Amino acid sequence: MEASRLTSLFGRHDFAIRRLHSLLGLMPIGGYLVFHLATNAAIIDGPEAYQHRADQLHKLGLTTIVVLEWSLIFLPILFHGIVGLMIVSRGKRNVLNYPYADNWRYTLQRLSGVVAFAFIVWHVFDLHGWLRWSWWVENVARPLGGARFMAEEAPATASAAIGRAWWVIAFYAVGVTASVYHLANGLWTMGMTWGLWTSQAARRRMNLPCAAVGIVLLVVGLGALGAMVRAGRLSNLPDGAAGPVRSAPAPAADHASPRVLGSAR
Amino acid sequence: MDRPSERIEDTRSGSRGSPSGSMTSAEANAADSFLVRVLRQDGPGLTSYWETHRVAREPDMNCISVLQKIAERAETIEGRRVAPVAWECNCLEEVCGACTMLINGRVRQACTALVDRLLADRPGEIELRPMTKFPVIRDLVVDRSRVFAALRKVKAWVPVDSYLDMGAGPRQSQEDQELAYQYSKCMSCGCCLEACPQFLKIELVRGKGESETDFRRRLDEANRQAFLGAHAIAQVELFNLNPIGSMTARQRLDVLTGEGGVQICGKAQNCVKVCPKGIPLTTAIARANRAAVRHVVRKWFDL
Repeated sequence: MEASRLTSLFGRHDFAIRRLHSLLGLMPIGGYLVFHLATNAAIIDGPEAYQHRADQLHKLGLTTIVVLEWSLIFLPILFHGIVGLMIVSRGKRNVLNYPYADNWRYTLQRLSGVVAFAFIVWHVFDLHGWLRWSWWVENVARPLGGARFMAEEAPATASAAIGRAWWVIAFYAVGVTASVYHLANGLWTMGMTWGLWTSQAARRRMNLPCAAVGIVLLVVGLGALGAMVRAGRLSNLPDGAAGPVRSAPAPAADHASPRVLGSAR
Repeated sequence: MDRPSERIEDTRSGSRGSPSGSMTSAEANAADSFLVRVLRQDGPGLTSYWETHRVAREPDMNCISVLQKIAERAETIEGRRVAPVAWECNCLEEVCGACTMLINGRVRQACTALVDRLLADRPGEIELRPMTKFPVIRDLVVDRSRVFAALRKVKAWVPVDSYLDMGAGPRQSQEDQELAYQYSKCMSCGCCLEACPQFLKIELVRGKGESETDFRRRLDEANRQAFLGAHAIAQVELFNLNPIGSMTARQRLDVLTGEGGVQICGKAQNCVKVCPKGIPLTTAIARANRAAVRHVVRKWFDL
C-alpha cells in the first residue's frame, strides 16, 4: 500500500514536480554549469590564475560555502537527477523505428542526462568527497580514493587527480560533453515546456541560439580540461622547467586553513 | 471522430474452392505476386506469431485490398489453411482511423498505404503488424478505447445545454478559425500515440473472480493516470479556441495539468511527423504548455 500511495503522491503532483525539474535544470544547475566551466577556464591562463580564482571562492568562508553548495548545487542536482531517472524509466525509446532528428535529440537528452548524473556523482566524490566533515574525509573519502582536491593547492591537486589515468581524462571529456549537450538541448525543450516558443517557426529559430550556447560551453569546458591535463604534465617534468604548478603563496593563513568541518589541522 | 467500426468477421466459410482461390506456388512467381508477412494473435493476451501469405499483384492495390485477398484465400505460403487475418476498416478514405496499423514498421492507415509504393520502397514483401501501444483483440484489430477515454477526460466538446434560443454565439477571428481547422482534422486514429516514446501501452487482464464492473473500474483508473497523448492535447487547444468552448477552458486545463497531463510530453516530436492529417501537434503541445503554466499560476495566486 505504501508504494501505491507514493505513486499516487507523485502522480497528483506530477505537473509541479516536472516543472520544478525543468526550472532547476536552468537555475541553479545550468547557471552553475556555466559558472563552473568558466571558473575552470582560468587554468588556461596558468596555475596562478586558477589558484587566484580558487582563493577568491574560498574567501567566502566554510559555512557560506557549505550552505551554498548544498542549497544551490547538490540538492538541486540530486532532485533533478532522481526525477530525471524516473522520467527516463517511464519512456520507451523508439529512435530506431522513428529515426527523426528530434527523436534523436530526445534520446540523446536521456542518455546524456544519465551519463552526466553518473559522472557528476563520481566527480564530486573524486575531487570534493561529498561531505566536508573531517571524519568522513579522513576515514571514508580519502581511503576510497576521493576528496583529491585541496583549495590551497588547487592547480596541483586538480591536475594530479584529472591527469592520473587516461580513463579519467576520457571520463571527464565524456562527462563535460554530456552535461553541455543536456543543458543546450534542455534550454530548447524548456522553451516548449513553458510555452515560450510555440509556433514551428519560432521553435526552429531557437535552435541556433541554443546550439551556440552549447558550442561555446563545450569549447570552454574541453579547453579547460586540456589545459588542466597539460598543466599536470608540465609540473611533472624532472627539472621543473615550467616552474612549480603551485606558485602563488596562500594569501592568508585564515583563508587557507581548515576547509573541512571539525578539522584539527 | 468516428468510433472503430465493426470487425471484419471470418469470411472463409463457403468461399473455398472458387477458381480465384486456388493459385499454385508455381503460378505465383515474384513478378506478379508478393509476400505479406502478418504478425498474428488469436486473442487478447495470447502469444503473437508471424505468418506469410502470397498475394497476386493487381493494379492499384492498397493494404485493405491485400487483406481482402488474404481473407479470400486464407492459405499461408506453406499451403496451410488458416483463419483469415482479422482487421478493421470503415471509411476507406483516411478519415476514420479504424484501419491504423504498422505497415513496414511505420504506423499509418492501411487504406491509403498503396501497394505499388510499398513495393517500390521494399521489393517483394509487405509487413503488417498491429499497433503496439494498444491491447490486441485479434490479429490487426486493437482496442483503441483509451484514445476516446482521453477525449472524454479532457471534455473535448462544446457544452451546449439549453432549451432556449441563445442567439448567435461570439465570433471567432479568422486566425483562430484557421488554427482550429487544423486541429479539427483529427480522426483519433492513434498514430501520434503509437510513435510517442512517452505513451506506454496499458494492457490489463481481468482477474479470476473479478466482476466486469470492477475490471472496467480498474481499467478506467489506469487510463486516468496514464498520459493523455498528443491527440487529446490538440483537442484541448481546439475546444479552448472555440469562443463557447473557452467558457469551460479551466476544466480542460485542470485535466491538462493533472495526472497524465501535458507535462509528460518529452519533446520527441514524433507525433507531428507521423500524423496522417498533418495536424500541428507540437504547436498544440507548446500552446497547451503556455496555457497550463498560466492556469497553474492563476490558481496558486487566486487571480
